[in-house]
Amino acid sequence: MTILTTHRAAPATVQQWWVLTSRLIAPSLRNGEVAVGIVTSVVATAGFYIPLNRLMDGPDLPTSSYAQYLLPLITLQAIAFASVTTAYRAATDSVQGLNRRLKSLPIASLTPLVARISASFYRCAIALAVALVCGYVIGFRFHRGPLDIVAFCLLALLTGLALSFIGDVIGTNSRNPAATTQWLLLPQMIFGYLSVGIQPVQRFPEWIQPIVRNQPISQIVYALQALAGDSLPGTAPVTWSVIGPALAWIIGLIAVTVPWAVVVYRRRT
Amino acid sequence: MSESGKGVDVQGVGKSFGSVAALRDISFDVGRGEVVALLGPNGAGKTTTVEILSTLTKPDRGRALVAGHDVVSDPAMVRRSIMLTGQHVALDDMLTGYENLVMFGRLQGLKKAPAQARARQLLGEFDLEKAAGRRVATYSGGMRRRVDIACGLVVRPEVVFLDEPTTGLDPRSRQAIWDLVNSFKEAGIATLLTTQYLEEADALSDRIVVIDHGTIVAQGTADQLKERTGGTYCEIVPRDPADVYAVAEALGSLLPQTSRAALTAESDRVTIPAPDGPATLTTAVQRLTSADIELADIALRRPSLDDVFLALTGGPAATSEKASVAGEVGS
Repeated sequence: MTILTTHRAAPATVQQWWVLTSRLIAPSLRNGEVAVGIVTSVVATAGFYIPLNRLMDGPDLPTSSYAQYLLPLITLQAIAFASVTTAYRAATDSVQGLNRRLKSLPIASLTPLVARISASFYRCAIALAVALVCGYVIGFRFHRGPLDIVAFCLLALLTGLALSFIGDVIGTNSRNPAATTQWLLLPQMIFGYLSVGIQPVQRFPEWIQPIVRNQPISQIVYALQALAGDSLPGTAPVTWSVIGPALAWIIGLIAVTVPWAVVVYRRRT
Repeated sequence: MSESGKGVDVQGVGKSFGSVAALRDISFDVGRGEVVALLGPNGAGKTTTVEILSTLTKPDRGRALVAGHDVVSDPAMVRRSIMLTGQHVALDDMLTGYENLVMFGRLQGLKKAPAQARARQLLGEFDLEKAAGRRVATYSGGMRRRVDIACGLVVRPEVVFLDEPTTGLDPRSRQAIWDLVNSFKEAGIATLLTTQYLEEADALSDRIVVIDHGTIVAQGTADQLKERTGGTYCEIVPRDPADVYAVAEALGSLLPQTSRAALTAESDRVTIPAPDGPATLTTAVQRLTSADIELADIALRRPSLDDVFLALTGGPAATSEKASVAGEVGS
């Protein structure tokens, strides 16, 4: 009889983390997740750049071209889409009972969460790469040193990390994959369109300028624009007063979301 | 689990969700190689019991040991010893059947090659080889259930919890799961099975624990439970329904007074207690023959588990009525 085996459970945390991460990464190529991610970034780039390029050009644009101005927003949109996928997968795991089953196995309570965040990081990295390629095609270029390029990528990925945690917790709690992704499009549109990533703050109506200027996505856009630099000397320099607020927003979001996620996953009624 | 130890040992466990008492003072055990059925209607507390024993829920009171480990103070060791199959299949729909099996093998600590070998072995055992390379999202309900259970067997469990494992399955898949439970028994694994199907509890389990409103209302073997609900009775159906009064007259002392009083014009049969089994039947036949009453049927009956279940859980049939089934006059 081979229905039963003599193998005994001998769980190892690192192996479990890797197995749970690769279960999310392995199917992403064949189920179209990566393909959709790439197409979304391309379409987002074209959708912003083609209609707005000539419209946005003007003496008050702080950069040499609209492509140079727009790239941070394209990057953040791509990363936001990646975190929506994370929320979708978290909601699916939750509603299909997989979380419950994993809790009954000898697996540390936070391993499934860390694995999903790891897989999300992989999605964000692809999104960033695709966004940079799209940006290059429309004319974006990095104009500062290699360290600034690294900092640009790290800041984008750190934003992805914060959004991944938020997406994961919302997905897990909602237990409804379809509704979750629908709802998450809302903040993505609000924060994306009402941000300085699309046009300089002074072009917005005066009454909404304080909101546009200070909301987190705008602050991150300022930092990314500074780190990318420009061929003309018009962009903000890389200083703490430019980078600091963006970092503060991201760290603040992570500081609030991570304990929330830990409570959700540790919960044992 | 030591040789003599119990697979499951539950002592006075209670659990409330807010103001709702889901379980009150539950005590039972499951020995090695024993199959115990937890039988009860929806909302009786079956799933809560399984969730406490599989460390998904913490009990408010009492003590529960699984494979010798306390579910509250040593959940990690409990999780190493158990297999849990919930009411709903819990698999990764994006992966194939084979990939799910390999994943659960590796989560339980198998290295890559042994996990793959074990996955292929289980696909064979569960007759899933042809579907191995398809995503489980495309499987039928019975196939999903089989993969779900197979994923719980990638390593050897000491205690198995099956929460309504055959709900919604076709007869063939149900039979496969029944066979599996019997192989657990032979392998010395303790199995706790929850079910709403009396037939299943009767066929599979060594003992039955009947639970209702979070309380154990009875436990014992199927035979003991049937006995408890009034034992054997004899049912007499005259060919002409108008003869029921004549039957009652002829039976004399065999028919309790209360049953005689309950006879109505609509009655078409008479039921008497048969504590002596065939001897009671013989006496009844003799008396009815000498009274020259023609019968359509006369037979010894034992209360079915359905009778027991309904009597104990106060189901559609009123408890008092069913509990005195052996003295009842049917209509």
